[in-house]
Amino acid sequence: MTKPVSLPLDSLHKEMGGHITDFHGFLLPVRFSSITEECQAVRTHAGLFDISHMGRFIVKGSGAVDAVNRLMTSNLSAVSPGKALYGILSNESGGAIDDIMAYRFSDDRVDLVVNASNREEDKRWIANHLPKGVSLEDPSPSHVGFALQGPRSGEILSLVESLAVALPRRGALLLPAPGGDILVSRTGYTGEDGWEFFGPEHQVATVYRKILSAGAPFGLKPCGLGARDLLRLEMGYPLYGQELTVATTPFDAGLGFAVSTKKGDFVGRKFLLDAEGNPLHHEDHRLLVGFSVKGRGIPRTDCIVSSASTGKVTGVVTSGGYSPAAGGGFGLAYVDRSFAEEFSLGAPAHVRIHEQSLPIVFRTRPFIQGGLN
Amino acid sequence: MEKRYTQTHEWIALNESGSEGTVGITDFAQKEVTDVVFVELPRIGKKVPKGGEAAIIESVKAAFSIYAPMGGEIIAGNQALDSNPALLNQDPLGQGWIFRLKLDNPSEFSSLMDEKAYNAYLSDGGGQPGHG
Repeated sequence: MTKPVSLPLDSLHKEMGGHITDFHGFLLPVRFSSITEECQAVRTHAGLFDISHMGRFIVKGSGAVDAVNRLMTSNLSAVSPGKALYGILSNESGGAIDDIMAYRFSDDRVDLVVNASNREEDKRWIANHLPKGVSLEDPSPSHVGFALQGPRSGEILSLVESLAVALPRRGALLLPAPGGDILVSRTGYTGEDGWEFFGPEHQVATVYRKILSAGAPFGLKPCGLGARDLLRLEMGYPLYGQELTVATTPFDAGLGFAVSTKKGDFVGRKFLLDAEGNPLHHEDHRLLVGFSVKGRGIPRTDCIVSSASTGKVTGVVTSGGYSPAAGGGFGLAYVDRSFAEEFSLGAPAHVRIHEQSLPIVFRTRPFIQGGLN
Repeated sequence: MEKRYTQTHEWIALNESGSEGTVGITDFAQKEVTDVVFVELPRIGKKVPKGGEAAIIESVKAAFSIYAPMGGEIIAGNQALDSNPALLNQDPLGQGWIFRLKLDNPSEFSSLMDEKAYNAYLSDGGGQPGHG
């Protein structure tokens, strides 16, 4: 194991009383006050997350959009400049190398934000697939990234960085700064309105500090990974490594919306779509379903799911948690394709938690009402 | 009443006769566990060896096993935690106690860490991930 990396905001987080954890080799706050309070702050007021562990790439050169588009499942050419797009970086056999955000600025400039755990792998994969004349830069080792999330984010940001407030939902812009552009977008991973910033360490850390103090009167709280995970799970968003792996396709994970049937060829298309652009089903692939627990129990990653009528093991939990807003214990599980449909129509199932079998019921995603739904 | 501590961050206090012990988790453990959602209390009459799993705390973050600091038979669980699990965060050393044991061997008490030894254990890195 290599030593975990300290990120630029680390000493500030310690001063703020952050409880630090090792997340894929990066030291990050798991919480500052209480995970529950931090979630509540994001849903009702605002929260500020350090996301400096995430990777940001800049893809530049003639035909950059087309080059990136060939590597993504969604259609970047259909997106106008100044907009962000979610998509899957797929391998030849349709498996997810990562799930990413692409920010189109011109035909010749696309920025990407990728998961921390996949940063090096993504960089190799993308760089190996770029045509001559298109290059990839990785400013992330010396950058700071943060996410301001919650219904009062706009009011807070207007006091600090008013240019960014006017961005539409999923809009993105580049703010010039010494040491490189700051990527600003109206995006997030919580289901609430919000903005994300990535850019040179010193400049972005300054904005982070300003938001922290300007936000306090609005009920803003610094938030950790614990709240981030629960907030995304309430929305049913996937986390790479749990709901998405190289063994899963976007369709398995319920991310069909992120696979364009209209765009031209892209890596993985042959495995994902037939010649007419219809999704191909792979019977041996499990499907991701949402569920909640009836009774007292919190499902966690790797808990076993079984059919209540046959007793047969039919799946495994990928993420689970507890949220009053989501109705108690709830989670996501990959279940056998044949069982997924029965379960969604009400077939009884159990989840195994600490040697006990508790009944679960199918749930549609998101698990909560509100936010941007 | 004097408390003694385990490396897995439980405390135990004996009654006057020394035949029964009350068990809870330390303030350090409470902070690590974070917001408690509920506690699986042990069944009354269950026999647990010293170091055996006796209860489970479910928090927003994860599930945590609570081990018996001394061997014995469960004679009570703190029912107040059923309706108010937050007691465990608010008052871990008092009202947030978890269960009571009728002790098999009261002399095991002296083998546990006293407060000074436990604090030294914490500052020596005993609270790092991998424990508890």
